[in-house]
Amino acid sequence: MSIDAQDHDDAETLDDQDEESKNRVQAWAADWIRNPQKAYTVMGVFLGGVLLTTTLFPLYWLFAVAMAPPGQTNIPLIPTRIDLYAFVDIFQQVPFARFMFNSLFYATTVTVVVILVASLAGYAFGRLDFRGKLPLLFSLLVLSWFPPATLFLPLFRAFNQQVKMLGLFTLPTEIYGTPGAVIAPLSAFTMPLAVFILMTFYAQIPDGLEDAARVEGSSRIGALFRVIMPLSAPGVATAGILTFITVYTEFFFSFLMTGDKASEWAPIVNGVLAFQSRYTVRYDLQAAASLVAIVPVAILVVLAQDKIVSGLTQGALKE
Amino acid sequence: MARVKLDDVSKSYEDVVAVKNMNLDLQDGEFITLVGPSGCGKSTTLETVAGLTKPTSGTIHIGDREVTNLPPKDRGIAMVFQNIALFPHMDVYDNISFGLRLRDFPKEEIDERVENAADIVELGGMLDRMPDELSGGQRQRVAIARSIVRNPDVFLMDEPLANLDAKLRVNMRTELQRLHKQLETTIIYVTHNQAEAMTMSDRIAVINGGELQQIAPPLTCYNEPANRFVAGFIGSPSMNFVPATVGDGELQANGYSLSYDTAAVEELTSREEVEIGVRPEDIYLVQNESEADKPSAPVEVVTDVLEPMGDEIFVYLKPIGSGEEDGMGSVEEREGLLMSVDPATDITEDQTVEIVFDRARIHLFDRGTGDAITHGVIEGAKMDTGSSEGEAQADD
Ligand SMILES: Nc1ncnc2c1ncn2[C@@H]1O[C@H](COP(=O)(O)OP(=O)(O)OP(=O)(O)O)[C@@H](O)[C@H]1O
Ligand SMILES: [Mg+2]
Repeated sequence: MSIDAQDHDDAETLDDQDEESKNRVQAWAADWIRNPQKAYTVMGVFLGGVLLTTTLFPLYWLFAVAMAPPGQTNIPLIPTRIDLYAFVDIFQQVPFARFMFNSLFYATTVTVVVILVASLAGYAFGRLDFRGKLPLLFSLLVLSWFPPATLFLPLFRAFNQQVKMLGLFTLPTEIYGTPGAVIAPLSAFTMPLAVFILMTFYAQIPDGLEDAARVEGSSRIGALFRVIMPLSAPGVATAGILTFITVYTEFFFSFLMTGDKASEWAPIVNGVLAFQSRYTVRYDLQAAASLVAIVPVAILVVLAQDKIVSGLTQGALKE
Repeated sequence: MARVKLDDVSKSYEDVVAVKNMNLDLQDGEFITLVGPSGCGKSTTLETVAGLTKPTSGTIHIGDREVTNLPPKDRGIAMVFQNIALFPHMDVYDNISFGLRLRDFPKEEIDERVENAADIVELGGMLDRMPDELSGGQRQRVAIARSIVRNPDVFLMDEPLANLDAKLRVNMRTELQRLHKQLETTIIYVTHNQAEAMTMSDRIAVINGGELQQIAPPLTCYNEPANRFVAGFIGSPSMNFVPATVGDGELQANGYSLSYDTAAVEELTSREEVEIGVRPEDIYLVQNESEADKPSAPVEVVTDVLEPMGDEIFVYLKPIGSGEEDGMGSVEEREGLLMSVDPATDITEDQTVEIVFDRARIHLFDRGTGDAITHGVIEGAKMDTGSSEGEAQADD
């Protein structure tokens, strides 16, 4: 109500003033008041800039550190020279590629296991009616509330064949130090969220489509993988990416359940730490290694985003 | 090609009984149509045959195998769904060939069969479209094509022609009939369209409230309905019903009276309350009396609304003295009659006319149970007493 009036007042005041006494700021203000859209655009650009800076600056800082000569601790904001040799050096000083492979291997394996198992669970929870469904779902939820660290010691001892599982048997082989010691617990920890995501998506696929697939000759599981999963692509992609990133960036289990050497299935964290000996720390190489470590995740997210297509069920059923 | 047999199949959901003790026995290669009001359990019956829902009780045989507990893929069936259910992430070709690809058919054979099926449903040139780029009728035809490529033993079709325009509908109808003749596949077909049911089927199964009312050839359902429900459901416009009391050789119904041959329907004397059923085309103006097989005595009525349909005129009739009070309560409450006459007939609204019923084609129903008592109230009429049940069962 009064905004119009104010607008008007301001406009008048400005009009009354001489051209010369109008300084720049006042002119801007007047312009923005007349065209609020402009103000919003500027604010949007500004906020976006702030967000981008806060997220991208650490990455830039890593880059700046990587550019600095070895041993230099005083890092200039703008690198004095562009020397990309650190990015090559990391692969020569330590088997960094192998460290990366280990982490990628964990992430990929866990993602595949989780998507497969969580698909079956999500199908059951989302599309079938059975007794005890709710308690089971609830216990899955409760499971995801446990801080994983509390489970480290018991798992560590079990994987070393020191305790009997369920008081009945020890594991047939020592799992500690093998990929299994990372993949098994991490699959379990990332499972509940994936189950919930997939359950929600699978539940929304119309029964008619599954029926059609079954009549055409596929089993329930066949229908799950041929029809329900492709139609839930956004959900599968979301669950997959979340799992992948969680495992790829996971520190606690992947660091503690494996040895320190790349050949001992050590993850990427060990790779970054390997540039730190008892007497020297190569900050430049650590920074370069950290940057390289981000690349696979970045690629994955960009690729998967492209795959996420919504509204796929259009035209399937007669409304 | 297979016999399909349902024995005492029932299906209940928590609060509703969708199918009640259904007994069906389809001969090899038979075309059966399920008809009935919406929600009467037609789709559920198909689903139990398909194996998509498990019956609460009862057994199902396809061919010589009991399939009650087999998954759909092992039953040798194909189904066109009421809601079409095309796979939205596959193009028309992939939709149609889905079942063949699952069964690892060689590529050339798949191509040939898909092409063939697409031709039958007039979908040539659309094989690379996605379902959301098709019209409703085109989707429906893809669904039909998907079911016919596999040459199954049994076709289940749930209103497969519902979305098509009148012309395409008739085309597809003949196409399906030709296909049926050619493949000799057993077909269970659901439709709400009387013409489809009458023209395509070997037998019609009329269902109401999950219960089978009658299963018989179309004309039998039409001419000798087993009960009042079937009589009212089959035929369009539907049969007229008039409550009547039984006198000696005479049926008394709000103002009309109708003589019957006591010898023909002896059993009537033991009843008091019946319902007369007469189809619109079995009522004649008195001047056309000769067209009726066995005309009754003329009755005076007043014409109400006229509905010219082109090839005939539907005439609504009300008893004489409508709107007045008489001993039997407000005359208005009594049902009127619908009569169909030749379009050339000279008739106007609110005209007093005399009509006759064709006594050979009058149906009597028990007012309590609704079961048919007799079809025709003349000597030599088809008696339905007691035997109606038996007849329906025998057809099973
Ligand atoms: N999954 C279900 N859960 C509960 N009730 C159901 C279910 N499916 C069907 N019904 C009920 O069973 C009855 C029969 O349904 P059905 O789909 O067989 O009817 P229909 O004869 O095919 O009707 P229409 O002609 O409208 O397709 C209906 O009362 C319906 O509400
Ligand atoms: Mg239905």
